Parts: sequence; structure tokens; C-alpha cells
Amino acid sequence: MGFHQQGYLSWISKIQVNHPAVLRRAEQIQARRTVKKEWQAAWLLKAVTFIDLTTLSGDDTSSNIQRLCYKAKYPIREDLLKALNMYDKGITTAAVCVYPARVCDAVKALKAAGCNIPVASVATGFPAGQTHLKTRLEEIRLAVEDGATEIDVVINRSLVLTGQWEALYDEIRQFRKACGEAHLKTILATGELGSLTNVYKASMIAMMAGSDFIKTSTGKETVNATFPVAIVMLRAIRDFFWKTGNKIGFKPAGGIRSAKDSLAWLSLVKEELGDEWLKPELFRIGASTLLSDIERQIYHHVTGRYAAYHDLPMS
Amino acid sequence: MRTGVIGLILPPTFSFLEMMWRICPALAVGCTVVALVSPASPTPLLLAQLSGELGPFPGILNVISGPASLVPVLASQPGIQKVAFCGALEEGRALRRTLAGECAELGLALGTESLLLLTDTADVDSAVEGVVDAAWSDRGPGGLRLLIQESVWDEAMRRLQERMGRLRSGRGLDGAVDMGARGAAACDLVQRFVREAQSQGAQVFQAGDVPSEHPFYPPTLVSNLPPASPCAQAEVPWPVVVASPFRTAKEALALANGTPRGGSASVWSERLGQALELGYGLQVGTVWINAHGLRDPSVPTGGCKESGCSWHGGPDGLYEYLRPSGTPARLSCLSKNLNYDTFGLAVPSTLPAGPEIGPSPAPPYGLFVGGRFQAPGARSSRPIQDASGNLHGYVAEGGAKDIRGAVEAAHQAFPGWAGQFPGARAALLWALAAALERRKSTLASRLERQGVELKAAEAEVELSARRLRAWGARAQAQGHTLQVAGLRGPVLRLREPLGVLAVVCPDEWPLLAFVSLLAPALAYGNTVVMVPSAACPLLALEVCQDMATLFPAGLANVVTGDRDHLTRCLALHQDVQAMWYFGSAQ
Repeated sequence: MGFHQQGYLSWISKIQVNHPAVLRRAEQIQARRTVKKEWQAAWLLKAVTFIDLTTLSGDDTSSNIQRLCYKAKYPIREDLLKALNMYDKGITTAAVCVYPARVCDAVKALKAAGCNIPVASVATGFPAGQTHLKTRLEEIRLAVEDGATEIDVVINRSLVLTGQWEALYDEIRQFRKACGEAHLKTILATGELGSLTNVYKASMIAMMAGSDFIKTSTGKETVNATFPVAIVMLRAIRDFFWKTGNKIGFKPAGGIRSAKDSLAWLSLVKEELGDEWLKPELFRIGASTLLSDIERQIYHHVTGRYAAYHDLPMS
Repeated sequence: MRTGVIGLILPPTFSFLEMMWRICPALAVGCTVVALVSPASPTPLLLAQLSGELGPFPGILNVISGPASLVPVLASQPGIQKVAFCGALEEGRALRRTLAGECAELGLALGTESLLLLTDTADVDSAVEGVVDAAWSDRGPGGLRLLIQESVWDEAMRRLQERMGRLRSGRGLDGAVDMGARGAAACDLVQRFVREAQSQGAQVFQAGDVPSEHPFYPPTLVSNLPPASPCAQAEVPWPVVVASPFRTAKEALALANGTPRGGSASVWSERLGQALELGYGLQVGTVWINAHGLRDPSVPTGGCKESGCSWHGGPDGLYEYLRPSGTPARLSCLSKNLNYDTFGLAVPSTLPAGPEIGPSPAPPYGLFVGGRFQAPGARSSRPIQDASGNLHGYVAEGGAKDIRGAVEAAHQAFPGWAGQFPGARAALLWALAAALERRKSTLASRLERQGVELKAAEAEVELSARRLRAWGARAQAQGHTLQVAGLRGPVLRLREPLGVLAVVCPDEWPLLAFVSLLAPALAYGNTVVMVPSAACPLLALEVCQDMATLFPAGLANVVTGDRDHLTRCLALHQDVQAMWYFGSAQ
């Protein structure tokens, strides 16, 4: 899937995004599509299947990775799932996301738990991406060797801010080649791109260069996944689909902590792209504490009571 | 000073916000309100009940629920000082007719259609959201005319259709719907419109998740409607968007201004210069740039042309319910034996004057149209007599054709004059004042012949010159303001000249009245067609001789003749923007 740069750069040259209008649309979406009662419980379970359970801290060791992987296999407490009649329907999170050095531990832990969900690794100088291209490519190769089947790469923001779209395209093509068969998620770090127009253009370039997913942010910037940015990226995904017929996935990450937020995100994707995108192959949510909030909401739905901190298993 | 009792008439479907925006300013300045609403909406009754519980003032808001036939009854009640009408065009017209000559003032806010102009430099996705706000939500009052630049036509239509598929309609209180229903009458109206549009060859696209019961109607997109079809002339009803292409910005303005409706519009373009240019060129009351339907109570909203002339919101909205202190209340000047069909139709014939005595008077004056004196179409003149009954001179007998020529000349001069700097306009008015002073002796002697004393005549001439200078100075203060409201972005309130004004002068003070009415109209950039005082138009014509040299052609046009006939011609002329009349009760 290669694009000849000259012809397709024209796809992004005429784009302009109106910032206030996008902000207004973002406010509307949050207000107008609320879900209640048993439908809310169903949507929450669906949201669980979209989560990439993430731990990206300096103090990760094999013990907390093991706990995380086990939680990924059994995200909701057994009796709650039995009460909802969803015990044996295979409710797991979509993936586990860790630093490259911890990929081996994660693969081992998942095998021990008997779970075949993929391990995603962040790569290319996560989170800032300010390292030499050679080392960035080597990181990807090493992570793939260790057993990661999904790679989350970070784009070079300086290329976006200086308008070097062709160079950006070339870099992402190289990431794609280094990934090989692994699934490529391109993190745009939208909080650092400066304007919504840049976000749209970077999304388009990333998709043209062969990403399987575009992701809003690393989770480590000051501004992570917000609705206005998401609207622009979803519109870019839709335009790319209309032009080429390829469906690219979307992943918001960072700042999604409450179950109510996750429902708003599901509504947003449903509104802008439709039901076909509401599958783990095309939509993921990068989160770590979100799962516990969802579990609390489900606890409340099943029992009618609010759970204490110690009632639900730690991840 | 506040106006008094306001009669408020609301249309069958109105939003809560619209109702509050009309009632609250009236109550805030101290007027009391009597509202007439249709029985289908009980909300105003609840509001009245709440206001009745406010203790010492039980009668400030009164609500009557009744059918539309009560409207003229309410409007002609003797105690009402002002009627604020909001609704459909035909009813507004009928109301204007019933209220003619009564002492109640009338404020009209008609029509619900708006316009959206999508250029190729716009963010099309956001503009599509603007269309949803305007037409397919509960926030918009009515239908939408959508003008799309041809180069982005396909893209825009595709996105619109895709977006329509995601709209949800249902009962208003369900939190997850985009739009509700507006009643059976609105539903019937839109069904008729769509059927007619289809029969005239338009393409109709409907989508959305809508219950199929009666008052719910799906969002509708109509394209390829031929502009000359009767459907395209009528107002677009509620969940319909009529889309038409345009090629250039100039064509867009011509299409947009080519309807009698002038309510509100939005311009979508990411290029600031283009957006502002289109905004200035649209003849509507409110223009939004890259947004649609933003409303704030401190920003005035109103319309022009057929959308009525009343404003609500902001200081202009308050002025609707106030009048200058010291002016007396309007008196009813209803004339019982008024027949609209025969009024002023024919010119009464004048007997030729008796044998001329003394020095023969000057040859008859022509009409001052288009910067020079012209012969009247009917080629007849009428004699003017001075105070002692002798012949003072002859002036032309103007007719319908002359009025038409005068209005045309005024329209031709209008763009140039309106585009002049205020300073240039002031300079011209001062030049005219200077010319009047130079002619003082001639003017004073003419006034004397009309029976005015010499001293008073000279004073009149001086006062005329002074008034011209005063209005010239005022031309500099145009009254535009920049307002910062709660909305994102500033609000620019512009005062634009109306266009061509028709002025019929009173009989008294032939020079002073003429000048005092001419000056303010010209100072603010309008052009005029004047009918001077019937008793002595010669003074006005003297001034015209100066205007012939000083003013650009067509700026001020003077037509003499039978006042009733000329008034009728001016009133029936569709292209005169406003009329000031001083004369008989009829």
C-alpha cells in the first residue's frame, strides 16, 4: 500500500479546520447521547473489550506486569459477570500495553494465564521521540523479536511543526517496514501539534504511510485525548475510507479515567464513523484506571450498592 | 420613556427562548404585557401564573389562549400602545392593514427562514454541523436555504447525507434526540412543500432515525429545485434544507439577496477577507461568520425587507419598548371614508388661471430628476398662487411615470452616495448651506410673496442653513459599535443606510421643512425622492437649482404635483425603502 507522494499530498494541502465549530460539536456530543440502565451496563462491558490495559511507569517490574496481565484476562469480577449472564462470553481487554523492556515478562505472564490477547509495545523513543532514527527503528525490531504483536510508535513532531510532510511520510513508512507483520499504531501526540489543521494533516499522512491505527497521544503530554481532537481525527479516518476503501482504527489514550467518559467516547465513534468501527480491531481505548471505574459501575448496576475500595480486585 | 401596554402575539410554534426574549425586555423597562398564544402551548400560561405570584403587581403579564382570529381584536383594543407580532408573513400584512391609522405602534418579526453560504474555502465538515444547527435541531426556528460553491458541491452533499443518517428524532424530553416535532400544522405544511418540490423536478433526500407517527417529519434535503419554480419563491418550512450551487462570490450575493426575506444568514469561509466581504454584502439583519444561530440576549437580532423591522435583544431590543420622553402618545387618526382603491388615483383638474396681470412670470419649472430639470411625462403644469391670490409661477404636474423615473435615478445614485466617506457627505451638505445663504434675498422675497413677513422669512432661511450644517456635522457620527458579548468572538453592529427614501413635505414652512427633511436622509447615506409643499413648491425648486450644480445626479429628486396622487404612486412602488409622510389623515 504505497502512495506516490506528489499526487496525494494534494489531499492535505487544501484542508482547513474551523476550531470554534469543532469545539461546539464536541460539547454537543457529550450532552446528547446518554445511555442508562441495562444498556449502560452493556455499553460498559463493550468498553472493557476495547481497553488496551496500560502500564508505562519507570517502576514497572515483572510482578506488577504479571498482575496486569491477569487482570487483562479477568477484567471484571466473576460473580458480577455471572449476574449479568456474560461469564463465558470471553470478556477480556483487547491488549496489554507495556514498555519494550517489559515485553518478555508480559508475554510470559499471558502464556501462563492461558490468554491469547496481544501484547502491545510502545517504541521509537516513547514518549518524546527525540532520538536518532537508527535507534528508533532498532527498538521496533527488538520489541517485535521479543514477541510484541502490536507496536505503538511516536511520530516526529518537529517534522509536523516545520511542515515537512514528505519526510514524515518517509519515516512512518520505515516504521511500517520495521514492524513487518506486527500491527502498527501511530501516535500523533496531538497536544504538541499546535492546531487542529496540523492534526488532520498528520492523521492523513500516517494513514497514507500504512498505519493500522492512529492514536491521539502518548498519555504523557499536558493535553491528551480531548473530544475536539478526536473529532478531527475521526473525520480524517472517514475521509480516508471514502477515498481508498481502507478502514483505519482509532485509539484515544490518556486522560480517560471515568466510565462516563468512556461512554461518551463510544458515542462519539458511533456518531462520526458508525457501528462498524465499534470493534476491537478498529477501536481501542488506552487506559489504566478506567477499568476499575467501569468495574465499580457494573458492581453498582448489579448490586445497587457502591463498592468499597477493597471489594474489587486490584490490577 | 416606556411605551405602555404591549400586546404580544406569538406564532403557533415558538420556542421558550423566543417568548422570554419578547416578554422580558418589555417587563424590564416597565411595560405590561398582554400575550395572545394558541391553545396548543400552555407554557405562557404557566409563566403568567408565576408572574402573578410576584406580590404587589398582579397584572404585569396576562396571557390569553385563543385562535388566530383573535389577533385583530387584540390589536385594535384601545388601551394597547404597541403590538409586537411574531409569525407568518400574511398574517403580519393583514395586521398592518388593520392597524393603519390606529394609535398602536406595530413591531413585526416575520418569517423563520435563514441562509447558509458555504464557500470553497470553508471547513466543510463544520459547515455541515452548522446546517444541522440551523435546520435539523430544536435550536433553529425554520428551514434553511443552503448555497454551496460549485467546486465543493459533491463533497458537501455527501457529508450532509451522511450526517443526516445519524440524526435522531423523537419526543423532546428524551435526552438522546436531536430534534422533536413541531405540531400537526407544521408537518402538513412541510409535506405539501416537499410534494410540490418533487413535482417540479427537485431531488429529495430524507434520512435519520425518525418515528413514523404523524407529527414527526424526517430531516429533508432538497436539491436541483429550479429557481424559477413557485416552491423556490416560498419560504422554506421547518426541517427542510434547499440546496443550490453558485459559482462565484458575486453570484452568491445575488442569489442570497434575491429573495424578499432578510432575516439571518451565516457565511462559512476560513479566509477572513472573503468572509467579511460576503457578510457586508448580504442584506439581512444578522450575519454569523463560521457559525450559525448563535444568540445572546445582549446582541440585537432582527431582520430587514420582508422579515419585519423589529429587533429584540441588546439596546435595540429595549428601544422597541421605549419612546423618546416628551413626545405625546400617538393619536388615532383613523379616517372613516378611506377607500384604498380610489385614493389619489386621478389628478383633479385645475382651472387655468385668470388673465395674467403684471410682468409675466418665469416659464414653468420642470421636475428635478436625475440632477437636472426635466419636463414631466404628462406635459402639464399647475399654477401656484401667492398669498394675495396672484399667480406666482407654474410648476410641473408629476405623475406615476415621473415617480418611477425619480426612484430609478435615486437607486442609481445610491451605491455611490452610500459608499462615500461621512466627511464627503458632510462637505456637500455644508456647501448647500453656503449656497442657501448666498441666495438669501431671492428666497426671502419669494417667502414674502407667500405672505410671510420679511423678518420671519429671513429667519427661516437662516435656520434652514443652520440645520443643514448641523446635520452635516452629525453625518460623521455613524453609530456603529463593536460589542463583546458572551459569544466566542466579537459582535459588530453596523448601521447601514436604508436606500431610497420618499418624503412628502407638509404645507407649512415650505423651505424649512423641505431642508430639515432632506438633510438627515442625505447625511446618513440615503437618496431621496421628495414631494415638496403643495402650497408653495417654488422654494424647494430654488434650492434645486443649487443642488443641480453641487450634488451628484440623482441624489435628491423633487417631483411636484398633486400630493395625494404622488403619495399613492410612491406608496405603491415596491422599491422605495421607507417613506416619511406629513399630510392629511387619509
